[in-house]
Amino acid sequence: MSYGILSFGAYVPSLRLDRKAVFEAVGWATPNLRGLASGERSVANWDEDAITMAVEAGLDCLADTEFSVPHICMASTTFPFSDRSNSGLVADALNLQRSIATEDFGGSRRAGTSALSRALSNNESSLMIASDCREAQPGSVQEMNYGHGSACVLLGEGKPIAEFLSSSSEHEDLIDQYRANGIEYDYSLEERWVREEGWLKIAPEAMQGAASKAGIELSEIDHFVVHGNGGAVAALSKKLGIERSRFADDLKAICGDTGAAHPFLMLSNVLSNAGAGDTVMLVGFGQGVDALLIKTTDHLTTGRQGRGAERFMARRRATSNYTFYLSLRQRLSLDFGLRAERDNRTALSAFYRKRRDINAMIGGRCSSCDALQYPKSIICVSCGASDSQVEESLSGLTGRVKSFTEDWLAYTPSPPYIYGNVEFDGGANVMLEFTDFEPGSLRTGDEIRLAFRVKDRDEKRKFHRYFWKPAPLTRL
Amino acid sequence: MASGIRDKVAIIGMGCTRFGERWDCGPEELMVEAFNEALTDSGVSRDQIEMAWLGLFFQEQSAGKSGLPLSMGLRLPNIPVTRVENMCATGTEALRGAVYAVAAGACDIAMAVGVEKLKDTGYPGLPERSKGTFDDLWLPNATAPGAFAQLASAYQAKHGCDSIDLKRAMAHISVKSHDNGLLNPKAHLRRAITEEQAMNAPMIAAPLGLYDCCGVSDGAACAIVTSVEKAKEMGIKDMITVKAMQLAPSNGFEMSTTDWDGSYLQTTRIAAARAYKEAGITDPIKQLDMTEVHDCFSVTELVVMEDLGLCEEGGAIKAVLDGKFDKDGDVPCQIDGGLKCFGHPIGASGLRMAYEIYLQLQGKAGERQLDSPSMGLTHNLGGHPFRNVASVSVLGLHSE
Repeated sequence: MSYGILSFGAYVPSLRLDRKAVFEAVGWATPNLRGLASGERSVANWDEDAITMAVEAGLDCLADTEFSVPHICMASTTFPFSDRSNSGLVADALNLQRSIATEDFGGSRRAGTSALSRALSNNESSLMIASDCREAQPGSVQEMNYGHGSACVLLGEGKPIAEFLSSSSEHEDLIDQYRANGIEYDYSLEERWVREEGWLKIAPEAMQGAASKAGIELSEIDHFVVHGNGGAVAALSKKLGIERSRFADDLKAICGDTGAAHPFLMLSNVLSNAGAGDTVMLVGFGQGVDALLIKTTDHLTTGRQGRGAERFMARRRATSNYTFYLSLRQRLSLDFGLRAERDNRTALSAFYRKRRDINAMIGGRCSSCDALQYPKSIICVSCGASDSQVEESLSGLTGRVKSFTEDWLAYTPSPPYIYGNVEFDGGANVMLEFTDFEPGSLRTGDEIRLAFRVKDRDEKRKFHRYFWKPAPLTRL
Repeated sequence: MASGIRDKVAIIGMGCTRFGERWDCGPEELMVEAFNEALTDSGVSRDQIEMAWLGLFFQEQSAGKSGLPLSMGLRLPNIPVTRVENMCATGTEALRGAVYAVAAGACDIAMAVGVEKLKDTGYPGLPERSKGTFDDLWLPNATAPGAFAQLASAYQAKHGCDSIDLKRAMAHISVKSHDNGLLNPKAHLRRAITEEQAMNAPMIAAPLGLYDCCGVSDGAACAIVTSVEKAKEMGIKDMITVKAMQLAPSNGFEMSTTDWDGSYLQTTRIAAARAYKEAGITDPIKQLDMTEVHDCFSVTELVVMEDLGLCEEGGAIKAVLDGKFDKDGDVPCQIDGGLKCFGHPIGASGLRMAYEIYLQLQGKAGERQLDSPSMGLTHNLGGHPFRNVASVSVLGLHSE
């Protein structure tokens, strides 16, 4: 038993928008975007946000682990709630123990690396998730560069896949970009200035600082996780005299810059491919720099099976439909008719009574007849026994589609509204709303997994409620 | 030992409005129209009616809650009025209240009125509504067509039938109901359609297209009932009596266990078995001369034919395509056009079905009159296949 990074996870939404399609739609007004119009960016579905993506990364990280998580930390610049514990909801959805400390970190794209630096320095046991779902103004450079995603690491005592060596931080109020409270979009400054004054002056200090603390030379480090745009990585490589191949893939081709999540996401990709005993430097940038140095262990190759990049590369739905993307992300207001006027007020006292049933999809398994049922009830649906049900979460179950429809009458931001009966491998039957299925692709008998998603948005009161939805099961 | 409702209560008067988009009428006008027809038909005076039941489902959007809309609308002399609501079984539930009151001897003459004013909601289909504080947190915001469409996917999966055959049988059902509705002056939709039109119509909820869905209508229907003894005293001949009235709501079996495969309607089977027993029916195909079933969607009617025992399980596609339930078939179904074409004002629908059987048994159905029927069945299915209220009633010529 020793302390370190025990596991990691990552999530990139399956929907990938072809950047050429963006350029074809907006290039008449912004011909300068032509140079960015290659590859794909990830797009959160209408029912995804920083919380749901954080849950996905957490599920990926915690699968097949036996670790009891005493602390959860979520870092983001796009928390769905400013006052309601975002990490707390993620903890609930992951069905973590109730005696858990929850912390939300925001205010900077560096929030995740700063929190990680502190936790690792203090040998804290924690699930540290970074997740960001930044919107971008149509026709902007950010629209091209940004993507949505999340990633996380699990810290604690056990068989670490990587050990912490050192970290160093620098603060400088260099405002390369900012987003004031209540404002939708980032305001960015000239990339050359950010590169020259920021990346090339502040980053080397922190990177050198971390390396010195660990007693190694920067040139000895195997992987650099640096997420800068506009040639920052190339310039840094040149300045530090470190060959470009040691800088990790910035994932621009498959998902784009995921903000606070990006250092973690790039790290997850490195961990998916690195060898045992490799040193990895993780850099976070934004009004300063965090540099963290870790070293992978022999447990890496077994601990990473089926996690991270392998999964999000396999889950992919390509689209070239720019207005579809705009509408999903509420950048374009289509007329969805009278049914979209439905009042989605949530009775929060009723929700509180049923919070675990909803957040962790806790059903009941009858101790008399073994029938699993959702929702759980006082009286068993199968044998009629009273007060016999033991709580059991369905969220990790897979299942098969028993019946379904593609409904063009019901309102959904992504028609058709697909829903149906699912028979779970644990034995329950539940009628559920589906997500991430292409119209016309679903068949009875198809296998599904469950994804934590926004169920409804209450536009009047600006509340979102969440629940679990069947999504395509990708077997790796 | 309880003996059931068979041949204890007679229907002595009925009325039904024209169903449709009654832009010029509110719930009050509709109730009065149905009531006046029933009252004239019964020959009793309004003061003789001692108790009433009002069936009304989407109360918020039309008349308001409680028994008041009926009492106020008809200016009733302060008699007890109970509002009942059991989804699409609401109309039948109102009739059940009146029938049971008379059977219990609580009064001599009782009345049931069902009404729905749907066309003020602004929705082309059924309006959106809350499912309650907990269900809203997890159940899909399903529409009726979407929920019933799943009968088709599950039926197809279970019986391994060809999707085109299934779609053609569904189309046959709709074509038949349109043909029947054409002969009914009170029907909402009076226009013949072709099988091709039905099969190629715009998709509402796959595989249900526009012509697989029933009309959403305004309308009201009314029944006046009394005991068989009282009816005899009144000198009524060729009496129409209630043979059975059964109700079966879901208890979670369909939605929360893995024992239901989604291809049939569990509650309909239970209600039908009870109703057949109560009515003394052992061979429904021979003993029933007609049915008015809950054809909210074509596929519902298809599986209901099996659930009522009118064809063998897995045999509905063939039976439908063979015309077994057509106007000239073994057991004609929806001779008045059904929900499909007569229309579906929720609270009135169960009473509308009874109205058609009442007319047919008396030989008063005009152009669409069947050849001397003596017993008919009504069926409602309120809610969705996975959670619903089913009602099955049998009405027939009185037999001692």
